[in-house]
This record gives sequence, C-alpha cells and structure tokens, in this order.
Amino acid sequence: MEHNTTETPQKTFTCQLCGLTSPFTYYGQKPPNTRAIVLLEECFMTKDPFCPEKEKFLVLGSNCSLCSMCVCVGLDCSLFYTKRFCMQCVNKHLDQFPHQIQAELAKKRQSSQAAVS
Amino acid sequence: MSSGRSRHRTWDWDSPQCRAQLDEVFFRRHDYIQAGSQDHKEFWSFFDRFQRFKTKRDMSGSGSSRKEAREQEGRDKRKSGKVDLDLPKDYDARYRINVSVCTRDIEERMGRSGKGSSGPGPQETSDCRLALLHFLDFSQKQSFGKLAKLRREQKSLPIYQYRSRIVDLVRRHPVVVVAGDTGCGKSTQVPQYLLSAGFHNIACTQPRRIACISLAKRVSFESLNQYGSKVGYQIRFETTRTTATKLLFLTEGLLLRQIQQDTTLAQYNVLIVDEVHERHLHCDFLLGVLRSLLASRPDLRLILMSATINIKLFSDYFNSAPVLQVPGRLFPIQVIYQPIPSEEQPSRSEKLDPRPYLRILQGIDQRYPPEERGDLLLFLSGVAEISTIQEACQVYATHTRRWIVLPLHSTLSVAQQDKVFDTSPPGVRKCIISTNIAETSVTIDGVRFVVDSGKVKEMSFDPKAKMQRLQEFWISRASSEQRKGRAGRTGPGVCYRLYAESDYDAFAPYPVPEIHRVALDSLILQMKSMHLGDPLSFVFIDPPPAASIQAAVTYLKEQGALDSRGELTSIGSLLAQLPVDVVIGKMLVLGSLFNLVEPVLTVAAAFSVQSPFLRSSQQNPDCATACQPLHSNQGDPFTLLNTFNAWVEVKGERGGGSRKWCRRRGLEEQRLYEMVNLRRQFRDLLKSHGLMEPVYSAPSGGDRKQRRERLTERRKLHQLKREHEQLEGSRRKVLRLEEGQEGDLSSGSDTEEAGKGRKDKAGSGQNMDIQEVKFKLRHNVSELQEAVSISQDLPSRQQALLKLLLCRGLYPQLALPDEHNSNRKDSEQVFHTRNKQGVVIHPTSVFASDPEVLHVPEDETREMGPDRRDSSRHQVLAFVTLLETNKPYLSNCVRVPALQALLLVANSIDSNADCARLVVDGWLELELREAEGALKVLATALTLRAEWEHLLQAQLKQSPAGEPEVQGVSRRVIEKLSENLVRFLLYTEISYSLRRLTAFQTQNLYIGPRPESELSQTEIPDLKPLFPGAEAKPDPIKGGLRVTSFFTYNCLADSKDLYSECLRTFWTCPNCDLYMPLTPLERMQHEASCRPAGEQQQLDKDPEDEKVATSSSVSSLTRVYHCDVCNEDLNLTSTEILKHKRQHMYSTK
Ligand SMILES: [Zn+2]
Ligand SMILES: [Zn+2]
Repeated sequence: MEHNTTETPQKTFTCQLCGLTSPFTYYGQKPPNTRAIVLLEECFMTKDPFCPEKEKFLVLGSNCSLCSMCVCVGLDCSLFYTKRFCMQCVNKHLDQFPHQIQAELAKKRQSSQAAVS
Repeated sequence: MSSGRSRHRTWDWDSPQCRAQLDEVFFRRHDYIQAGSQDHKEFWSFFDRFQRFKTKRDMSGSGSSRKEAREQEGRDKRKSGKVDLDLPKDYDARYRINVSVCTRDIEERMGRSGKGSSGPGPQETSDCRLALLHFLDFSQKQSFGKLAKLRREQKSLPIYQYRSRIVDLVRRHPVVVVAGDTGCGKSTQVPQYLLSAGFHNIACTQPRRIACISLAKRVSFESLNQYGSKVGYQIRFETTRTTATKLLFLTEGLLLRQIQQDTTLAQYNVLIVDEVHERHLHCDFLLGVLRSLLASRPDLRLILMSATINIKLFSDYFNSAPVLQVPGRLFPIQVIYQPIPSEEQPSRSEKLDPRPYLRILQGIDQRYPPEERGDLLLFLSGVAEISTIQEACQVYATHTRRWIVLPLHSTLSVAQQDKVFDTSPPGVRKCIISTNIAETSVTIDGVRFVVDSGKVKEMSFDPKAKMQRLQEFWISRASSEQRKGRAGRTGPGVCYRLYAESDYDAFAPYPVPEIHRVALDSLILQMKSMHLGDPLSFVFIDPPPAASIQAAVTYLKEQGALDSRGELTSIGSLLAQLPVDVVIGKMLVLGSLFNLVEPVLTVAAAFSVQSPFLRSSQQNPDCATACQPLHSNQGDPFTLLNTFNAWVEVKGERGGGSRKWCRRRGLEEQRLYEMVNLRRQFRDLLKSHGLMEPVYSAPSGGDRKQRRERLTERRKLHQLKREHEQLEGSRRKVLRLEEGQEGDLSSGSDTEEAGKGRKDKAGSGQNMDIQEVKFKLRHNVSELQEAVSISQDLPSRQQALLKLLLCRGLYPQLALPDEHNSNRKDSEQVFHTRNKQGVVIHPTSVFASDPEVLHVPEDETREMGPDRRDSSRHQVLAFVTLLETNKPYLSNCVRVPALQALLLVANSIDSNADCARLVVDGWLELELREAEGALKVLATALTLRAEWEHLLQAQLKQSPAGEPEVQGVSRRVIEKLSENLVRFLLYTEISYSLRRLTAFQTQNLYIGPRPESELSQTEIPDLKPLFPGAEAKPDPIKGGLRVTSFFTYNCLADSKDLYSECLRTFWTCPNCDLYMPLTPLERMQHEASCRPAGEQQQLDKDPEDEKVATSSSVSSLTRVYHCDVCNEDLNLTSTEILKHKRQHMYSTK
C-alpha cells in the first residue's frame, strides 16, 4: 500500500501486521503546530481524536527501518529503539537488542501464551 | 561562592518558583503544552512520579556486569556476519522514545556552564526535558491504546465482516435492506462504511431525537473526529449541521419536512432509514414518499435498516430490494414458561397479583449466588401495574437487602429514569420494572434476567368516538423475542415468560403498526400539502384503514384546514408547515392575529410537552399547597401559563435556584425547559411565516460594557457546557440500597436525597446545573421575562379573549357538563362530547378539584319545566385530549361561555324562524328566552365572525411576503374587533337553556328541502347580502336558507313558513332611524350592515385603516340593486334597499 501518495482523497494508514487502519493527516517528522517537537522517524500522524478540544497529534505508525514494512506503534507490531523495527525484524535480530528488551519480550510472549492456553 | 553552586544547592523541584522557571523554557504560550493547561498540570504530576521511579531505580542499581555481558554478546553477533542493527551499546529507556524536544533556548541552557545566569541550569533543564519526552511518549501510548481498543471493538462487531459487501450492494442497487439485531452495530457502522467508501451527503433518520445526538457523537468519535464537523445531527431544537456536513443524523419527521421544501431531496445522495421495523407513523409514511421519490432520483441510494423482523415486507415494497442479513450478537438465553395460575390471574378491575413476580425474585435468590452479578428487567404493561408490583417487590427487597427496585416509564422525572443506568453495590441486584420503553428505546447493560408479563398498553384511536384509547393487549411474538433478547446482551441469560408456550404461539407475529392505531390528521394534512393526491390511493407499505383516512379528512374539514372539496385552505397550508398538532398550530395562528401571541406561545408549548406537574407529587400535601397559587379555575392552560410565568420569574431572580423552586412544587423542571425551547421555536416559526412582528430594537443591546459582560458570561457558559460534556458518561454512580424505598411513596424526600447524592461529586467545586447553563446560552432571560410579563395577571378582558382563541383552536373538541352535575359528588361529575357520552375530567385537571365553577349558579337559573333550566351562565369545556384508560378522561380543559363561544366557533348553526331555537353542530340545542334578544345575539355573532374571518384571511394572505411594514391588517382594526369580541363574550346577558339533543330529535331535526314549485311561487325576500360576502340560498339538505357556510336559517323542524308575513314585527334600528316591520332575517341583514354613526365615521377617517375599511365597511355594504318598480340599477346598502322596497310597498297599498 502506498501511504504517502498525498493525492488520494482519503489518506489511510494500515498496519501490515495487525490490520489496524485509520485515516492520517500528516506524514513526516515534524507534526504541525507543535513548535519544539521533532520526531526521530518519519511517521503517519493524525489529530488526536481523544482530546478533541486541543490540537494534539497522534502517531499511528511508521515504516520498519529494516524491511520498510508499514507498522503501527502498537506493542505487538513494532518497537522503537533508536529506530523503528517491525516485530518480525525484532524477532529475527533479537540477539542484537539489549537484555532489558529481550527479557521484556520473553515475558510478554509468555503471558500471551498463557492467555491463549 | 559561585552562583551556580549555590543555585544547585537551593534548587528545589517541589518549589513552585523553580517549576515556574522551567515553565518559562518548556511551556510557553506557543509551545505544544502551555503553562496553566490541563496537560501542563498532568505533566508535573507525571514528573513527580517519574522522579520517584528514577530514584528507586538508582537505589537498586542498574547492574553494570550485565551491561558488559551484553556488549560482549553484541560483538559476538557482529562476527557471525548478520545484519548489524547498529544499536547503542548501553540500554537507555529514552532510546525507546521516538520524540525529541529541542529549541535554541533549551540547547543554550543545556550547554551552559552553569555560571552567570539565573534559572535552571543544564542538569535541571535536562531532567525536565527527559521527563517531558517520557511524558509525551506516555500520552502517545495512552491515546494509541484507546484507538487500538476502538478498532478492536469495531472489528469484533458482527457487521464488520459485511462491510465491503454492504458498500458493494449500495453501489449496485438503489435500495438495500440491512437487517440485523440489536448489538450487530449497524447504526454506528454502516454510515461509516459508506463515508470511508467515498459517499457523502448522507442522511440517516432515527425515530428518536436522543438517538440522533448520541449517534452523531459516537460516529464522529469512532471516525476519530477526522470528519470534524462533517458528522452532525439535526433535531427539533438544535443542529450541528454546517455546509461541511457529510453525514447527518435527523429525525424521520424532520426529513419529511425537508421533502416538503425540497421535493427531490437534492441535498442528499444517500438516505439511511434506520429502525424501519419499529413501524412508526412517520417512518411508514416516509418510506411511501421515498418510494415515489426514487423514480425521479435514480442516482439516490436508499438503505433501510431493520431488526430481523418482517424483512420481506420491506424488500417487497421496494421492488424486491436485496437484503443483507447480519447475525446479532446474543448470548444464549434460557426461556422458562411460567404461566400465572388462574387463582392469581387478576380480574378485570383488580390490581395485579404480585405473587408470581415475587416467586421469580425468590427463585433467583435461591438459585444464583449474590456474587454472580446480573440485574433483572421486568416488563409490565403500564404505570399502575408497575407501582403495584414495585410496592410488593420493595417489601421483599427491604427484607432481603439483595435488591434495589427501580421503576422505568416515560412519565417519570428524568433523574428518576436515569437511575436505572447506575450500578448496584456488590451482592445486590437491580430489579428494573419497566413498560415496553425498555424493549427498544432504552438499552440497559448488565441485565441477566428478564421477566415478561406478555402484556403491553397501546394507544389506539377510535374514529367513531373521536377518542384515543389506551388498552392492554398481548404482545406480539416479535416483541416477545425482543424482550427476551434483553437478557443476553452481556452474557448468557434467563427469560421468564409469565404465559404458556401455547399463548406465545397464538400471539400475532408482529406488533400493530402505528399507522393502524392513531389519528391520521397530521399525516393527511401533510400529504395534502405535499400534493400526494388522494390519500386513499397512496401506496403505503401497509395501508391504514380507509375509515381512519376518512375520519381524518372530516376532522380537517371541521378544523377549517381543508375546504369542502378536500383541498387545503390557506390556514391549512400554513398548518401543514408547522411541525405541531393541528389544534396547536391553529392556536398559534389565531394568537398571532390578536395581541395575545405571548400567552398563546406558552400555552401551545405547554400542550406539546408532558405536564410539568408530577403525578406522584401532587398527592403530596406540601406540594399541593405550594402549587395552589399557580392554579387557575379558568382552566388548565391558565394554570400552565401561571406556572411557566412564575418559573421564568424565578429564573430571572435566582437562576439555578429554580431547581429547588420546582422541587418544592413537585414540578419536573425538565418539562419547563422543554417548554421554553419549544416556545422559542414556535416564535421563530411565526416570525418566519410573517405572523409575528420582529422585535424592534432588542432591549438586550445595551451599551458596550453590558455587551462585553454578556459576551464574557457566554464564554464562561460555553466553557461550563464543554466541561459537563467531558464529564458525561464517566458519571455513573453506585446506587444505595435504600434507593428504591424512597422514590415513589414520598417524592418530597427527593429533595433531600438529591442533595445527598450530589455532595460526593462536588469535587469540581461548584454545583453545576447543566440545564441552567444551556438555558442561559439559548435564552435571554430578561427578554423572556419581558415577554412573559405581558401574559402575567391578564386582565379579565384579555383572559376572555384568550379563552376564545383556545376554544376556536381546540374546536370541535368541546364537552358539555351534564345537567345534573350540581347534584352529584365532586368525583362523579359527568360530561359529554358530541361523539362520546359520559366522559370524566382527568384528576390532574383543575376542574376535577373545583367542579363548582362549571355549575350553573342556582340563583340565576329559572326552572322552565322539568328539563329546562334557563340561565345566561351556561358553559362548555374545550379540551385538548380525550383518552380512555380505565375511563374516558378529558385533559387540559378550559371553560368558555357556551352561547357566545358556540356562535363564534361552531361549524354548523341552525335556527328556527325567529332564531330563538338554535342547534349547534347537530347535537347541542339552545333555546333563548326572548326572540328579540336572540336575534340580536345571533346578528352580533355573525358580524363578529365575518370580521374575524376577514382579518384572519388578510393576515394569512400577506404573511408569506413577510414584510412587516406592509401590515395588511392594521392594529386599530384588530383592536376594535377584539374589543367587540370581548364585549360580546362578557356582556351578553341573555337567558337560555342548553342541552344535548336526543337521538330521536337528531333524526327529525330539519324540515328538509322545499319542492321547487313552492319556491318559485313565492317571491324570495332579498336575503343575499345578509352580511358582506354572504349569499343566502336554500339549503338542499336541511331546508331553510343557507346564509353563511356555517349558519342555516329557519331549517329546524319547528320552523314556521319561511316567507310568512306573520314573522314581521315592527322594529327600530338603534343606529339609524329605520322603523318598520321586518322578518328576523331582514333585521339581521340590516344590523350587519348598519353601524353606529360614530363608529362608521371613525373608520372612514382613519387613513391607516383605509385598506380594510374600504373593503369591509363601505364598499362592501353597498351593492348594485335592480329595482323592478323603478326599473333602475341603484347603488345602495342593504338598509337602503329595504327602505327603498318599503317605499314601493306602502305606495302600492
Ligand atoms: Zn499493528
Ligand atoms: Zn521489518
């Protein structure tokens, strides 16, 4: 899916792992009306719908720095550690991630398995 | 000492000054988070938590040995030839944050050596920035979590699987039926699927206003407000619609009104009609209209959404439209049939026996442990049944302390209704006893047990008695299933049916659609104004009985909305545009003519909402006493008027204090808010139809300071409203065990209770009354007070006129007190309407507690025989509703002087030769004592009516232009008329008897037409210009002479020969010198045209009145008369003609 073709009337972000879709209003590193805030990656963003009063942004997801797959920021789909990694890539290169992260993921996997069984 | 070190030592994170210094760096006016905002407050509390966390972590040590080990591993991997991710060697949680905050200011402070300047140094700045990054990351995760949850929920809806199929069907077919049961998500999702598929200008109708608002909010939220103002709603009082709106939720009635203006509905591309299975009158009609509209709009897409009830009916109606059926999401429900044993069956007049219901509560307590949650929903047919069972259940609940018993029906106060959504404390179940309102309209989560009595009370209309009837019926199988389904929304449930399975099988498959049950007046009127042709041949989805249509047409004719050919009259076409009942619309129009708009607006609004007087509180002596000053024995509309006026005054003085004021009087304030809104809408309607002058130089203008103050206040109010809206939803409170016990028995204690309940959530500091806020935003209190003051303490003359207007509006809804009422007990007063004998006054009416005011005063009556009581004080009642429950009840009544009111409003008045005997509408007979006086009264009434009608027509004709300067009807003429009407109403002193005709009398009422021969033989006296515009012709059915559309002279069976000379008596005209023998008709004719000399002159002189004066008093009085004797055309008034003819008569003799 091409997300950054800004010409399409309805710009939709879709996570290629979990299928979450949402319209997005901005793609880039500098969310509008945010002054000092800069993102460390190019992101799909929308106006935060959960605080309708204020002009807040919400990052939906971005492309995996390794495989460029489009993934959402949900914990099951991607991980940011200086760069964005999709979960597939994280698992492939798990050994290169710090211990803290490895332990965390192992714990999460365990608990989700427990929930399934 | 260096300043840096001293600062470092004195830096205190808890000090507000220190924090304020950092605010200067990070949270400036244009920053993402601004000092003083909610986010800002949240940041600092996050900061505290973050610091605590950091300290704890630092104390436990970060384990450097592990770090080394990891680095070692990393080096190993690199050797193995895999991709190098190039990750930093040391783990830091901040690497997991994809946000950075950087400005020159921050950079500078962080790079500073820490010398020379004040404020936070590099360390503090860096700490704060790190905390800010974590805070931003935290907020992002929180919001994204909500989004993900929302998407998961959307995906899990049964309808989600069908989204592309739905879009595809809509693309390919003009009409699609989507059928799915409650909980499948169709109402919220289908509009969104269409929006995201690129459809726009979508309208989605709902049967209920409240659903329009909540759906618009929900869909807007679910589509992430991405559409912002593009999702809106439009209901009676308010709209959020803008030009950008792509999806609009609106009521069925409103869409119909829009079709009246925009016959092809060009403003929409897609129409979704939701809940079609509910078969509301408007919805059935809307479908019919849309069906024919589709022919002219092949591009229009129509989607019908329904529960899985009778789907084929809808599909077939639209040329076998494709149906998409979506399974509902219901948990399994166990059905238990528990028919009520015969010894516990209530006989017709008895109260319900509560034992079968109590057994179920007991059974639940025995079978299910209290820690297993799940509430009970009990369906009964009506309010009386609910209070019987509630009482019994409450005793049980008080004893076991395991239940909270709550009633639910539409006549409860809003606050009481709202309680069913609160949760019960652990170990206690709610027992909600409801009418069928909980079947579809109100959805309560957490219900596990349903008890279904199988009964429903439904309104039906009896066209013969002209009466609404509230009767108990068995429900349909569809309703039964719907009720059952309420037990399985949140988990597996149980449904107890208090009838046998064989009963169930014998139920009708579907409920009777509304169109088969109700009066069709408004519908027919609307059809006429939409030019839909003969209502009998309109293709309804399920045609109403022809008798119903016929009854409505007749009624509309009686009301003057349709003429004798069934075409719209000018008042009729105006009424069709007003979204109110015909009688109420008529009142508004009539009120606009006279200077009585303000009170009429209030009364019309009061008639359109439920009574603000809560039934239960009126039995409370304290409330009754407090209400006493509001009561008016003129009639219920005046009580309502007083109440509204007093309330507005309290609002002006005490604002939110009105809540207490209402509570003390047992008034439901919500209804008064509805009234004030409706009143405002009526006013706008009248203005837009040019029936009301715009307010000159609004007193609200004020000087600049006042305006500014008002603006500031409005801003504050808007803020309050927003805050309230944010709080909404998170407000469910936990019920107290005692909750049910207080409710019904003594509403007085409601005061105390509400106070208690509110204290605990007074966290926000002030007790905000959102209704008061909305009221202030919508209305200018001082303007309202001014408007209301006009109708306060109306002088008796104005009151008399207002009563007449109400009576004319409500006509033919009139009732006659029974002649023997003064000998009966107060509670046994009987009344009769034309079509229904023996009706009673509803106990809430003022005439139920004060019936003497309707009795004919003893000292004034003169017994004229066994059955005849003459008096000048007879009265009749005009009423708003006649509804039969256990008895036929009249409600909202006003009393009017019988003779005067009948002569001024009745559609049919028949007289005998000397006009001393009159029959009104074929059922009321009035016998006047003196023929002389009778004639005078009749003549006055005819003149007044003609004038009134003339002015009304003039008002209606000029109204569409809406130019207030060219008021066709001048004020002075109207004032003159109202004065004359009032004089007629108040000062007609003539003794008469008033009674109903017997069936036998009605049969032989008229003499019938005379044979042609007889007519031609006699010279017909010149009767034509009895009064302006009238033509007297023999009446083909009744006989006699039809003088006006409503008055037929000399047609009653006891009439003497029409042309008999013996009817002539000598008479002197009080206005001119005329003295001669005249027949009654000739006299009336003269009186109609002969005005007191002074009056006539005054009229002529007034230049303002020229228009009307010329048309009604001068030119129309003279006409061309051809005298056969002189053989000459003479331009004479009718009096002059008479004189002229007499002249010949005497000269020939
Ligand atoms: Zn995802
Ligand atoms: Zn990847």
